Amino acid sequence: MQLYDPTSSGAERSLSRAAALAAIEGKTIGILENGKLNAPEMLREVADLFVARHGCTIHAMYSKSNASAPAPSETLAKAAAEVDFLITGLGD
Amino acid sequence: MPFDSHRIHDVPDDLLAAIDYCYEQGWTDGLPVIPPVLDRVQAMLAYEGRPPEAVIATHPATTLQLTVHAAAVNAVMAGCLPEYFPVLVAAFEAMDKPDFNFHGSTASTGGSAPLLIVSGGYADDIGMNADVNLFGPGNRANATIGRATRLILRNVFQMIPGISDKSTQGNPGKYSFCIAERARGNPWPLLCQEQDYPEGVSSVTVFAGGGFCNVENHGGNTPEQVLGSVADAMANYGCITLGQAVVILAPEHMRIVAGAGWTRKDAQAFLFSQAKRSIEGMKSVGKYRDVEYDKQHGPEAHRLAEPGYVHRGMTPEDILITMGGGDAGGHSCFIPSWSRGRGSIMQHKPIGVCIDCN
Repeated sequence: MQLYDPTSSGAERSLSRAAALAAIEGKTIGILENGKLNAPEMLREVADLFVARHGCTIHAMYSKSNASAPAPSETLAKAAAEVDFLITGLGD
Repeated sequence: MPFDSHRIHDVPDDLLAAIDYCYEQGWTDGLPVIPPVLDRVQAMLAYEGRPPEAVIATHPATTLQLTVHAAAVNAVMAGCLPEYFPVLVAAFEAMDKPDFNFHGSTASTGGSAPLLIVSGGYADDIGMNADVNLFGPGNRANATIGRATRLILRNVFQMIPGISDKSTQGNPGKYSFCIAERARGNPWPLLCQEQDYPEGVSSVTVFAGGGFCNVENHGGNTPEQVLGSVADAMANYGCITLGQAVVILAPEHMRIVAGAGWTRKDAQAFLFSQAKRSIEGMKSVGKYRDVEYDKQHGPEAHRLAEPGYVHRGMTPEDILITMGGGDAGGHSCFIPSWSRGRGSIMQHKPIGVCIDCN
């Protein structure tokens, strides 16, 4: 008996990680909050730890209008141009 | 991976062994599947005009794609007959619209399931149930089209429970959640008519449903009484959000509502105006958010949005209402949205035809 495979015949993916920063001292931070109830407060607390411990600067908080959808590409492009690294996470 | 229509598994020529093989591959929803043998898949494909490699839907985060072929394989596994296939294809075309956000609604802790509502003559053509035991078992088309939807989310889009499907509790509709709109005795225009499809064209509406709430009312005999109990269900503290809603009125309830001359728009306006909670009440359960209130009561606020209250949805049109179920019983239902806000907006597509296609 022969069976067809039911799993995906997806498009070829090309994904890669950004290179890790050599150091975080003095770097510029962006925050990407996902619009959930406690996201801005929680992520701000995390960013403040980087400020206190590593002399980082918080540049901006970016927002997603839909927590469960990918961030708009223009938001990510803007963040990439403006900050050295981005902090994000769930905030329920 | 490029499209490959010949990814074939050779298994022992024994049906039970083949069923076990499907289990071993992780291809099932926990129930046995029909092994997707080649001729059954080919029969399914005969009901779709596009080539097997045509893409129906793409996952926005992983770029995994649903081809016609993969849909047919999963439809066979779910137990679909070939004539059901156009409904399944149309459902995923609707779910592929960005505003439906099928990734979020499937991955979320919220545990929603795509509710499919088939409207128009095609539902009768393939023997769907719009009548007694509407959401229950017993009808092959309802059961297997809904099940195929889940199998595709699992097998094609890899929305695996516990890994990429993080539902806290899920809901039983995640096995199958597919109904037909009842045309027999329905005093209102069918959904496919309201959706402005040409005469004779059926449609499927998809809605990320967060569960099922029975609304029992055997004492009310006015529209305000019947719909008042529906509105109360819609506004319960566990459910009330800015999200959309589906209400399926039982024929008994519909006779009371439409018999008093109420149109669908009348019912939508009543439900929107009544399905509400005060700011103080929302605060009492810790669910009040000023950003949500401001969104509902801002410059674009609907005229029925009452100051000091949080309503369910943004406008009356956010509430889909139609009729379904058996003749006996004052049991309607409200199906809440998965999304707390506007994370998923219901969509629809015609079945088996292409309108305004490129």
